[in-house]
Amino acid sequence: MLKKVVKLLTAVAAVVSIAACSEKLEAGKSCPLLCPTQAVTLLDTTIDAVVVDTTVLGLPPIGTETYLMLASHGDTLETRAIVRFDTLPQTYTKSGTDSTIVSIDSATLVTPIVKPDSAHRPTSPVTIEVYDVDTAATDTVSSILGSLFRPDRFLGSKTFAPESLLDTLRIPISTDSVLDRVKNGKRLRVGYRLRSTPGYDIRIGTTQNGQAVSLRIKASKDTTATPVVVTPLSNTPTDQPFIAGPLADYTIVLKGLTTTPPTLLSVGGVPSRRAFLHFNVPSHIVDSTTIVRASLLLTQVPNRRVDQRDSVYVFPLAVLAAPVVTDIASALQFLGGNGQFGLDSVRMAPSDSGLRSFEIAGLVRTWRSQPLTVSPRSIALRSGAEAQLPAQFDFFSTKGPAGLRPRLRITYVPQTSYGLP
Amino acid sequence: MTMRRILRLARAVRGRTVLSFALIAAPAVGLHAQSNLSTQGFGYPVGQQSARSLGAGGALSEIDPLSPVNPASLALIGSRMLYFQIEPEYRTVTTAAGTERTTTARYPNVFGALPIGSNFVVSLGASTLLDRTATTSFNSTQFLSGHDSVPMTTTFHIDGAMDDVRLAGAWAPVSWLRVGLGVHAITGHNLINLSQKFADSVTFAAFTQSRVLGFSGSALSAGVQFVSQAWLASVSARKGGSLSLNAEDTVVSRARVPDRFGGSIAYTGIAGSAISVRADRDSWSALGNLGSPGLIGVDAWDTSIGADIAGPRFGQQSLYLRGGFRDRTLPFEAANQIVREKSFSGGLGAAFANAHILADLAVVHANRTAVNVPATEHAWTISIGLSVRP
Repeated sequence: MLKKVVKLLTAVAAVVSIAACSEKLEAGKSCPLLCPTQAVTLLDTTIDAVVVDTTVLGLPPIGTETYLMLASHGDTLETRAIVRFDTLPQTYTKSGTDSTIVSIDSATLVTPIVKPDSAHRPTSPVTIEVYDVDTAATDTVSSILGSLFRPDRFLGSKTFAPESLLDTLRIPISTDSVLDRVKNGKRLRVGYRLRSTPGYDIRIGTTQNGQAVSLRIKASKDTTATPVVVTPLSNTPTDQPFIAGPLADYTIVLKGLTTTPPTLLSVGGVPSRRAFLHFNVPSHIVDSTTIVRASLLLTQVPNRRVDQRDSVYVFPLAVLAAPVVTDIASALQFLGGNGQFGLDSVRMAPSDSGLRSFEIAGLVRTWRSQPLTVSPRSIALRSGAEAQLPAQFDFFSTKGPAGLRPRLRITYVPQTSYGLP
Repeated sequence: MTMRRILRLARAVRGRTVLSFALIAAPAVGLHAQSNLSTQGFGYPVGQQSARSLGAGGALSEIDPLSPVNPASLALIGSRMLYFQIEPEYRTVTTAAGTERTTTARYPNVFGALPIGSNFVVSLGASTLLDRTATTSFNSTQFLSGHDSVPMTTTFHIDGAMDDVRLAGAWAPVSWLRVGLGVHAITGHNLINLSQKFADSVTFAAFTQSRVLGFSGSALSAGVQFVSQAWLASVSARKGGSLSLNAEDTVVSRARVPDRFGGSIAYTGIAGSAISVRADRDSWSALGNLGSPGLIGVDAWDTSIGADIAGPRFGQQSLYLRGGFRDRTLPFEAANQIVREKSFSGGLGAAFANAHILADLAVVHANRTAVNVPATEHAWTISIGLSVRP
């Protein structure tokens, strides 16, 4: 009998012990009746925290565009895309044997593009022309390169119906010109020109994003001959390989360069630009409270120059360069990635107007108890289609009209002695 | 799971208790809602009762050596002993908003005793004085400037307890008299985790803040027992010393450890049995200064009646049957009203392995109410105590 009692007690002890581990954590239905502590109060303040702001044109630097902007908008905007093939092979493979190229059956520029969606297809056929833009002159100057788009340097063209603009365009070019370069060991540098009425723009892939233009040379009609595929390569400037590499493909602007007045901050546009803002937030907020919302409030000014209705994301980005980098243009090249620090983008069209709110709480929180050398209190604004599309977004700067200048709205939890019953 | 809790407890208590023994003298480490009647203020008074005493409604605590109440009762211990107690509570709170059920796991009492000579016993133990472990989550809308507002969910998670570590000794100079003294260190912590999440998680960033509130205080206790063939009278008292509440290295507030006095009279004329009546008074109001200005501690009576009866014998061992009733006031008001607790309990006790192991089981059903507060609370508590005599 005692053994049975022992077994019973042991079983009860085991069950209770196990059950004791199974906890139910959440409750709160009886709040606020029985809750001694209510929600923490949030405080909200809007301050003129931007102490330095400016727009820097020409970013990203030439050659570092993720897509080449090939635009044709008449007198408003005219751009060209340049692709360099500074080394051309002189042999090809046929039936497993290398042979010297003595003739060329076809030469095609295989051109990856961003496939336009239905809202951005051209309304009429567009023509892409290709020119030989090789020159001994300073070879990134727009005016010099622009003058090379003339009939005697014409290499080829192709007209595309709107529905044929898919993800790759194949443009045949002069086989004689290519053969001449191959035989003589010369470089081939081509310039793209878009002809379209009404205006249109195409985004061409680059070496920066791994989807560069390639030159496909078929040296024989024989089906056993393997076509030669040449990828862009730039060997100049010869003494500056750091610069020469990115210049394998780049964009030049012939018409439509704009500037930004001091009363505005701009992002995107032509030439592409970024905005820089430096903050001074009172330490009693940054260091002594918990920030739950930090909104950079900017007043957008309509820009109706090009693609005024096309919506594009504008990204706030953390400036990672320490204050020792005093050149703002340099600092704007050391930026965090999109979405890093929880920074959220805002989608807008160039012709929009009114108040825009960029949420930067994730970044502002990192400023807590950190010196400026560790956590610079600066952000950049960058267009999600910078150097790819001409869309430009303008906002009033700190030199703009009072009441329309940049402001910082901060919602925070003040330091409280929470936890005391 | 249990080991994880014990380790968590050990980390929290580290550096605050001079006695490593206290590290496993677990205060409550379970979780339940603070949105209830019983866990207001600095928490629920677990009662410093052994499973044996709880089975008898708490009436035996003055004469029970395993309950850290009257140090004189230690003189009853005739051999080395270790004791550990498990005590989950299953709670139901009902308000107009609905019913919520929570589970709290507690390890409220750990204890060791060592006889020295024939009539002197020393012991070291730790017990939970006030258990504040709770999780409360509720929704609200915060109105900001202008027409700006944000719905949000606030969660308070509080983990920890105020503990009582006691070093005590008892002496029985003659067969009819036992006296005892105890030195108490009031220790423990409350780990407060505050988190807020927002319905608009794009604009608003959720956050979590943590804060550790530590207790540091002292007290002295004394007790005496008068023994006759059929009666056992017992009285004891605790005199509180200073008590401080610390956040990291800053003293947040100061108060006094609550004084306590109590007594019981038990009829022991039946062999192996005791029928007892007990009354106890705690000056919880002394803790008022330790919290926010609005915190009100309530000086409270704790009365009980119960019996521990030797039941059927199995061989050399008896099975003990227990029952009791308890009525007490809880230390902190809820919605500005005093909270009362009435409980019925029953229990069993038995010895095993040639009386080297003693096991006690108690089941307590408590009803907690506050006048004019439209909320009721019911709780089932199961307490298991294991004593080992090496």
